[in-house]
Amino acid sequence: MISITGLGIICAIGNDAPAVLDSLRNGRSGVGAMKYLQSKHSYLPVGEVKLSNDEMKQMLGVETAAPVSRTSLMGAIAVRQALQQAGIGSVEGKRVALISGTTVGGMDVTERYFDQMKSDDSLLDLPQNNECGKSSREIAAMAGLGNAEVCTISTACSSALNSIILGSEMLKRDEVDIVVAGGSEALSMFHLNGFNTLMILDKERCRPFDDTRAGLNLGEGAAFVVLQKDAANSLAYVAGYGNRCDAFHQTASSDNGEGAFLAMSDALSMAGLKPEDIQYVNAHGTGTPNNDLSESQALKRVFGDSMPEVSSTKSFTGHTTSASGSIETVMCVLAMQNSFTPGNLGWKNQIDGGITPTMGTEGKALENIVCNSFGFGGNDSSLVISKSAPKDEAKADADCSFKVAAEVLITDAEELKGLKEFVSPMESRRMGKLMKAAYLSSLRALRDAGVETPDAIITATSRGMLEISEQFLEDIISNGEELLKPTLFMQSTHNTLSSAIAIRTKCHGYNITYSQGDESMDWAMRDAERLIRTGKAKAVLVGCFDESTPTFSSFVERAGKEAPAPLYAKSVVLCRC
Amino acid sequence: MDELIYALKEQIIDALNLEEMTPDEIENDAPLFGNGLGLDSIDALELIVLLEKHYGIKLASPAEGKSIFKSVSTIAEYVEKNRKK
Repeated sequence: MISITGLGIICAIGNDAPAVLDSLRNGRSGVGAMKYLQSKHSYLPVGEVKLSNDEMKQMLGVETAAPVSRTSLMGAIAVRQALQQAGIGSVEGKRVALISGTTVGGMDVTERYFDQMKSDDSLLDLPQNNECGKSSREIAAMAGLGNAEVCTISTACSSALNSIILGSEMLKRDEVDIVVAGGSEALSMFHLNGFNTLMILDKERCRPFDDTRAGLNLGEGAAFVVLQKDAANSLAYVAGYGNRCDAFHQTASSDNGEGAFLAMSDALSMAGLKPEDIQYVNAHGTGTPNNDLSESQALKRVFGDSMPEVSSTKSFTGHTTSASGSIETVMCVLAMQNSFTPGNLGWKNQIDGGITPTMGTEGKALENIVCNSFGFGGNDSSLVISKSAPKDEAKADADCSFKVAAEVLITDAEELKGLKEFVSPMESRRMGKLMKAAYLSSLRALRDAGVETPDAIITATSRGMLEISEQFLEDIISNGEELLKPTLFMQSTHNTLSSAIAIRTKCHGYNITYSQGDESMDWAMRDAERLIRTGKAKAVLVGCFDESTPTFSSFVERAGKEAPAPLYAKSVVLCRC
Repeated sequence: MDELIYALKEQIIDALNLEEMTPDEIENDAPLFGNGLGLDSIDALELIVLLEKHYGIKLASPAEGKSIFKSVSTIAEYVEKNRKK
């Protein structure tokens, strides 16, 4: 069984677990006027961590004057808290993994210095902030985990929950002794403007599950949990989990919440629990018209007449995007330990066809809680947290072996003309170079392997959708945060590729994206092998996709290093044999 | 009006990356969404940006766009009445 032995959290309603608990119980929201984020759209309410970067550096004893991303600073603060509560001092001789979820990574630094980097050679360390994996390494270093295995998961807003899932899997298979899993995400001008182009930011405080809801408020923060197997000092247990793909749309959920339904069903099934065994659901509940209705449908499909208390805590914190899964997991454990449910702040009006959220209950015994976390690309994850030790999963590894059934590599942009064989010009109208290459190599590999719909899709990318993201950032700077293209932002997350392939192949299975520099593909292959060896999948599509742009390559070359390849797309189909 | 309609078609092709289409291939009254041209919700957001960029028209929500974006003709009518530039 997987024990949670330590909690670390920093978000808009508190800089540690006791402060967060106090705000939750007293209905104090942390969403308000913008103070630290620099944006023209300062009328938008946000859930900021109430500390400056310098204050966070001071807390951590970090003395550098160089810019450090808030993502790294908040992450290190939360990891330190979690390790302290778990009573983990020295990790000498232990196998430790730090698994962090982030998508924005060090974008707060990149966007501030992007123009200067083009001419100022003293800033040439900064382009590395482009890589999500860099912030996770910084977190490890600042939190005293310099020797740990470090891994970054980047599946947009479900990233942190997927980190907890990966950590649990690694512990179950004895790959590590101690896991610190969660996520961190700073507010950035980049994604504030991005969500703004999608017209899903509320100008008032968000009202999840309310009929008058008009969108989300963005927030920031970090949270991590320490996970250990069979620990004596358990705060709660990870009893079950599921990750599924809605395979419907890059930025919208399906009407019947298929992905969410499947994720919750998997999590309950792994925990060996029935719907009536759950006392509380911490919903994804962003406050957008689309999410809350779709999630309501999924909840009704799972729980039927035995609907537990449900609330979204995003009205307290704002939507902390990639960190939300672990921030809300920590809140669930706090609720469980203190026997209360957090209220759904701001709710007044029932949605026709929607669930009725709880306004909070004190003195509520919580044995089992479901925590939902959904991301762009329909990346839907659910976790079951239990107060008592769950019955151990009786089954050991099925120990199936596997083979590479097909492998396709594309590095020449000329080859992308071949995409016409698979998609119409209308379908490919928004695709950039990397998306075309990922699509083409994957569809060819699946065809060669004779697989129509894989059981799982796992991708690896160091820099993600670089060309499109760079264009969006250039537009933000040159247009002064106006007239930006939603088409660019909707494709900017690292899991855009795995989601697009899932939509195309109608794959509702496990869907994960690793972003840990040059190690990304190793993590992806390791996960694919794990899925096949444990009998969870028969055919897994694994992709390693990266691109460079002239601007990014010039940064790297000016720093005296070799520029990355302009295009690299390798798709592998692994099959059980 | 014909001039505006032609300009709109060119702007739509550019904004939505309909690279292989020409203005003549988009009929004035054909539905842009669903069974017509086959545009989706993200295209609708791009059309909102287009209206602001070229005509100074700001829509407050995607819902407002529904009746306006039925066809190129309905967009042209709306632009004619509401344009700021």
